[in-house]
Amino acid sequence: MNAASLIDRLHPLEIKVLTALSRHQSQSPHVALREEELGQTAALEPAQLSMAVEWLLAKSLIRVESERVTQIVSLTKIGEHYFEKYSPVERILSAVRDASQAGRRLTIQDIRSREGLEPTEMSGAIGSLKKDGAIRIAEGGQVEATGTPSRTAESLRSLFQQLRATSKELQAFPEPMRGVIEQHAVKRGNAREPFRIDERVERRYTLTPEGMTIAQAITQQGTGEEVSQLTPDLLKDGAWRTKRFRKYTISLRPPRLAAGKRHPYREFLDLVKRKLVSMGFLEMRGPLVETEFWNMDALYMPQFHPARAIHDVYFVKEPTHAREIAEPFLSQVAAAHRNGGGTGSTGWGYEYDLDRARRLVLRSQGTAVSARTLASGPNVPGKYFSIARCFRYDQVDATHATDFFQVEGIVLGRDINFRTLLGLLDLFAREVAQAKESRFLPTYFPFTEPSVELQVRHPRLGWIELGGAGLFRAEVTRPLGVDVPVIAWGLGLDRMAMVALGIHDIRDLFSTDLEMIRTTRGHF
Amino acid sequence: MPTISINQKDFEQLVGRPTIAAEPLDAWLPLVKAELKDQDSESGEVRLELHDSNRPDLWSCEGIARQIRIKLQGAASAYPFFKPTPRPKRRIQVMQGLERVRPYIAACTAVGYKMTGEGLAQLVQTQEKLADIFGRKRRTISIGLYRLPQIVFPVTYTLVKPEEVRFTPLGVEEKMSPREILAVHPKGLEYGPILAGHDRLPLLMDEEGQVLSLPPIINSREIGEVRVGDRELFVEVTGTDLPMVLLTLNILAVNLADRGATIEAVEVAYPYATELGKTVRTPFNFQKARSIPIKTIEDALGVPLGAERIRQALLAYGYEASASKDRGAISVKIPPYRNDLMHPLDVVEDVAISRGYGEFTPIMPSQFTVGSLSRLEEMSDRVRDMMVGMGFQEIISNIMASRQELIDRMHLAGSDRDQIVEVENVMTQAYSCLRQWITPSLLRVEAASTRAFYPHRLFEVGEVAVPDATEETGVRTLMVLGALIAHANANFSEAHSCLDLLLFYLDRPYTLEPISHRSFLDGRAGRIVSNGRAVGLIGEIHPEVLEHWQVSMPSVVFELEVDALVNEGKS
Repeated sequence: MNAASLIDRLHPLEIKVLTALSRHQSQSPHVALREEELGQTAALEPAQLSMAVEWLLAKSLIRVESERVTQIVSLTKIGEHYFEKYSPVERILSAVRDASQAGRRLTIQDIRSREGLEPTEMSGAIGSLKKDGAIRIAEGGQVEATGTPSRTAESLRSLFQQLRATSKELQAFPEPMRGVIEQHAVKRGNAREPFRIDERVERRYTLTPEGMTIAQAITQQGTGEEVSQLTPDLLKDGAWRTKRFRKYTISLRPPRLAAGKRHPYREFLDLVKRKLVSMGFLEMRGPLVETEFWNMDALYMPQFHPARAIHDVYFVKEPTHAREIAEPFLSQVAAAHRNGGGTGSTGWGYEYDLDRARRLVLRSQGTAVSARTLASGPNVPGKYFSIARCFRYDQVDATHATDFFQVEGIVLGRDINFRTLLGLLDLFAREVAQAKESRFLPTYFPFTEPSVELQVRHPRLGWIELGGAGLFRAEVTRPLGVDVPVIAWGLGLDRMAMVALGIHDIRDLFSTDLEMIRTTRGHF
Repeated sequence: MPTISINQKDFEQLVGRPTIAAEPLDAWLPLVKAELKDQDSESGEVRLELHDSNRPDLWSCEGIARQIRIKLQGAASAYPFFKPTPRPKRRIQVMQGLERVRPYIAACTAVGYKMTGEGLAQLVQTQEKLADIFGRKRRTISIGLYRLPQIVFPVTYTLVKPEEVRFTPLGVEEKMSPREILAVHPKGLEYGPILAGHDRLPLLMDEEGQVLSLPPIINSREIGEVRVGDRELFVEVTGTDLPMVLLTLNILAVNLADRGATIEAVEVAYPYATELGKTVRTPFNFQKARSIPIKTIEDALGVPLGAERIRQALLAYGYEASASKDRGAISVKIPPYRNDLMHPLDVVEDVAISRGYGEFTPIMPSQFTVGSLSRLEEMSDRVRDMMVGMGFQEIISNIMASRQELIDRMHLAGSDRDQIVEVENVMTQAYSCLRQWITPSLLRVEAASTRAFYPHRLFEVGEVAVPDATEETGVRTLMVLGALIAHANANFSEAHSCLDLLLFYLDRPYTLEPISHRSFLDGRAGRIVSNGRAVGLIGEIHPEVLEHWQVSMPSVVFELEVDALVNEGKS
């Protein structure tokens, strides 16, 4: 890379550091510059300096000439407090001396309570004073002053004064003082000490030969004119004409944005929604909390039958029952269950429980919404869909969710029959799943006859179930006041959504991990 | 939907066509609405899930093979034992009082088939599936199988006091009284509750006083343990619903007949009246011919098949079918081992299955309809678009949550805002309630996402369930927008700006009224009022609530009812 293009890519901070080093080396070629001095010469904040130095080291334009680790001593908060109010060593010594002069004797306990010191503070300080020979413990635990001065107390006082509001290299102190500092420095597990020893790495930097070349080139071409940002001021007075604009390294990755975005699963559901509307379907909605009547009875699922176990439901704790079920639907559905009720059916032939019909449950199938629509005087011909949140009494795992979306609907019309049912499913396979191949298999739903399972061939997964459908039984439609054939259909889209979103665990459709939501992309 | 195991070789023998192995089993499964679960080609074990809960006759190897055999033959072979015969040799006398406990019994004998290992395995599996799933864990029906030579007829179906008799039940060595069986025997513990509240219990006993069984709990060990090699069986079904009892016996009888047994009927004499009188001869064919207009079938299928092709299809599916004396109609009768023909249209599916769904050409519904979203969904989409435009990331959450999340962590316990919809049959506490507002859902995301780079601007437009006594179900479902902003400087003013802009574009004048709400910092929470109605709230989340969620970023939220934006009409 030639010097000119390299210079173009240098950040202003880098240029400042290079020129500062170059200037220093032309004046004193044999002494490398300390980091602190470099910061002053280049007029940079420590953070800016360390950034620029990192970049230049990476580009091999500068190198570390030498590295020295020094230990720096400073006062902690406790140290500053001791400077003002005296350290435990000083306080104990002075207390003992005062007492001796007054002819009184103090025990360790007396001193502790008088001075309000912690047991740990006491034992350390008493130990130091005894070692210095400044006190002794007489018979009966009484503490006496010996008259000998305490080296520790004197060193501490001198250190507090020297270190107040500043810091010094540990090596700058004579050996005995260093001992006192190390003994009273903050250590792991003992933060209540007056001194802190920090390690400081002091580096000296020098230009590499390449850095020297670049620095000289910069000095020759002059940098004073370079600016990084075009500003309104530069535009206002035309000053931009005399400036050079720093060239950016445009291949760097940009900072990330926290953008506003629809949820990836929503994007998928919106696509389905648009498809259905474009095919002439009207959206229908229903409540989350349903009666067993609309959730099951109206769908001719007998109250006793094992078919009911397919839909293991959540029951509402309070209130347990709806006040009433709208007539004439309740009576007509009850009659259909009991004896067919004029639908041409024999019915299930059991004693239909009117109370159970009012039992409140969490909607367990989107077909409940279809049942309500049938009872509301729907359009004929008419097409309806809902994307309904449903709830199942299931242990949650990678393939079972406790609440999930069901895409379901109905189609009413005099031309509805088994073949138009297959035609509709064919359309779903092509339009919603973009499938090239589909097939129909017999299946069972309590509310349809005939019933069909729709399978499509997925390029990777082979034949997968896309949905189920059928013609609503007369025992469903007639009691709700509908006398034309009705297709009931449902699409199992979770599997499709998971494939499109690259998700393997159904719980991730409703992920709580923002990073995951921000980075999931749909392949629709 | 039961899952059953069958053995491929046994299956092929029952179908009567060994070449079936050359065709994939899959190809036959649509005929019986079965789904292949597993197949072990070495042992020949196949596991199938049967989809039709109204066809218990298909829940066995014999049943599946029968349906396929009929298709291959083009019609069913007759089962002579359903034809009325002179009075049966064997008899069961039912005693007074059973009408209040377990009123019905049906029985037959099966002779001349030497029980094989696979035959017994299927018989036991059928017994279990029928009693468990079809018979609701033996409540409506239960089945007993016995070694016929040891029984001295007539058999009495009677009631006894719990201490009145003693016999050795299956699974133990010593004699026990019914009371002891109910108290300690595993089957007694499992099925005993069915007899709860009765001081006298059902018992089957023969002429010599030998106990056959204590229905529906357990058989006697001496008579009621069928083994491989047995050639003579006695089969009985007891229950609370006569059609179901008869149907179950019919299924067992045809299954045994398909394996080569000769079935002989048993006469049941009741002291009380049943739908079929006081004397019922079982197996009993309770099916009657029905006349169904050809046009009904053709219209439903969408193909003018004609009477003959419909008749052929029904014959090949096991029906009896013949020209009806009614003009343009067909007389059909489903086989006695089925009882799922409730409506004339029920034969339509069987015609379609018999011919194969692939035989029907799909046609598009041709009538014109106009599609559209609901107004609520349209409004929700508008709100979503605007939130996205303001830099918010959409969230979709579970509507189910825990009381701890919705109330306790929100600092609402004991306040007047602690009403939520809870479920009675809790599976896990984490999913035991319906959310009544969106904010806890957003805090749940916030708590799980402290490492995602900031700022966090989240929103969800979703449903909530609010207890409301004026509603039919006591609960109102509402569509609500919830939004949350979290970053080091997040505050009320930022959220207010977003809300203000949103409501500006929706053209909804509003005011904020201060409220006291324990989820929010006092003096930094408000109710959004529009057209004189509270339609939402806004506030800075209380630090204590943030602590509960272990969220360490200032968070501010607002919620807005989307329903309210729709219902009050456009200005």
